[in-house]
Amino acid sequence: MTILGLTMVTQQTLADDAVLADELVLRLQRADPSAVAEVYDAHHAAVRAFAKRLLGDAASAEDLVHEVFVSLPQAVRKFRGDAALRTFLISIAVNHARHHVRAAQRRRRALSAYGDTKSHDSTDPEREARRRELAESLSRALDTLPIDQRVAFVLCEVEERSSREAAEIVGAPEATLRTRLFHAKKKLRLALQTEGLG
Amino acid sequence: MSNDPLAEATRALRETETASDFEARATRTRVMTGLHQTRVRRRTRLAFLLPVAASLVAVSAWGAVSGQGRRALDKLERLVGITVSATAPSRAKGTPRRPATPPAVTSNSPEQALLPPSYQAEAAEATPIAARAASSARVTASASSSASRADRADPTLSLYRAAHTAHFVDRDPTRAVAAWDAYLSAAPNGEFAPEARYNRALSLVRLGRSNEARSALMPFANGAYGGYRKAEASALLERLEP
Repeated sequence: MTILGLTMVTQQTLADDAVLADELVLRLQRADPSAVAEVYDAHHAAVRAFAKRLLGDAASAEDLVHEVFVSLPQAVRKFRGDAALRTFLISIAVNHARHHVRAAQRRRRALSAYGDTKSHDSTDPEREARRRELAESLSRALDTLPIDQRVAFVLCEVEERSSREAAEIVGAPEATLRTRLFHAKKKLRLALQTEGLG
Repeated sequence: MSNDPLAEATRALRETETASDFEARATRTRVMTGLHQTRVRRRTRLAFLLPVAASLVAVSAWGAVSGQGRRALDKLERLVGITVSATAPSRAKGTPRRPATPPAVTSNSPEQALLPPSYQAEAAEATPIAARAASSARVTASASSSASRADRADPTLSLYRAAHTAHFVDRDPTRAVAAWDAYLSAAPNGEFAPEARYNRALSLVRLGRSNEARSALMPFANGAYGGYRKAEASALLERLEP
């Protein structure tokens, strides 16, 4: 009886969530600013994290986040509801990332040439410095990859998404994604070795 | 520390701090501003385009219904000089395409006034087309001298003009029939022969010469001239049925 009751409550909650999601999508399609704001508040962190990991540059990542949410009312017309809204947002980011990769590369090169003086509070400055160095090396190595392999690596390895979910985001078969990932890892290992991290 | 530098670097990238709350809020403001600007642009575009489109539709509909559209187009043609510039050189070469200065047909067509009441509906439909044929032949007043040149080049045009005057200006069907006959015998395959034949048929209707009118209208109703006056001729023939 209790299990049955719980199941019914869970099903009701899921149905309510689906209705709310549908309403939200409808509001987004009407370019309702409050709907975009709602989606931003709920998902901006995930989109930003992905953008930052993919581009390796905070400013370019902010530009990408901006572009994703501004284009959302237009893009959401293609949203069929068969994936989570967050997954859909990441796929928009993937589609727009191509334009930002070069800008991010240029900015990162400029920062490394002049020295990034941004300070970071950390309990262990040495460890933090090492972590930053590694992350920057990987970002530089990612610059050597084609965008498809780069996206596959960030989605599957950095963001630890399943190959199925990543395939859904990029709109490619899982096998294709795994192949891209394989080649990406191979090239990245080589690039890191060149940087003296191998 | 992991032995795999790629795994270690991947973990480091994963743990990279994302933007501060301030940056996130700044981007949110940018997004909302961008959306607002998009909406404003769309509204402005709509506010500008909708009235223009609505006016265009209304004017087109009014022009089509009242026949003013054709006249406005003619005026525009004259204003930009299309008609004059298009006809003048051809006259100079002695190959006129239109009679130079047939009198203008007013919207209150003489055809309609002269027809018996039962034919007025058909004539009302036919009038804009007759006016179109006549007005397409019109040129500006400054072209009157070139009209005489055109007449010298093609004498049948003066016959057409005389018939046109008798039909549309003098409203004399007897004289009009004779004048149309004169034009048609001079130029049986002339450029304006179909118009002349149809106008002749109308004059015959006005004179009550129904049998002759029927035979004159029959080719139009049968599509001998394509769609030209087909509907009007059929309607008139129905009314002329004994």
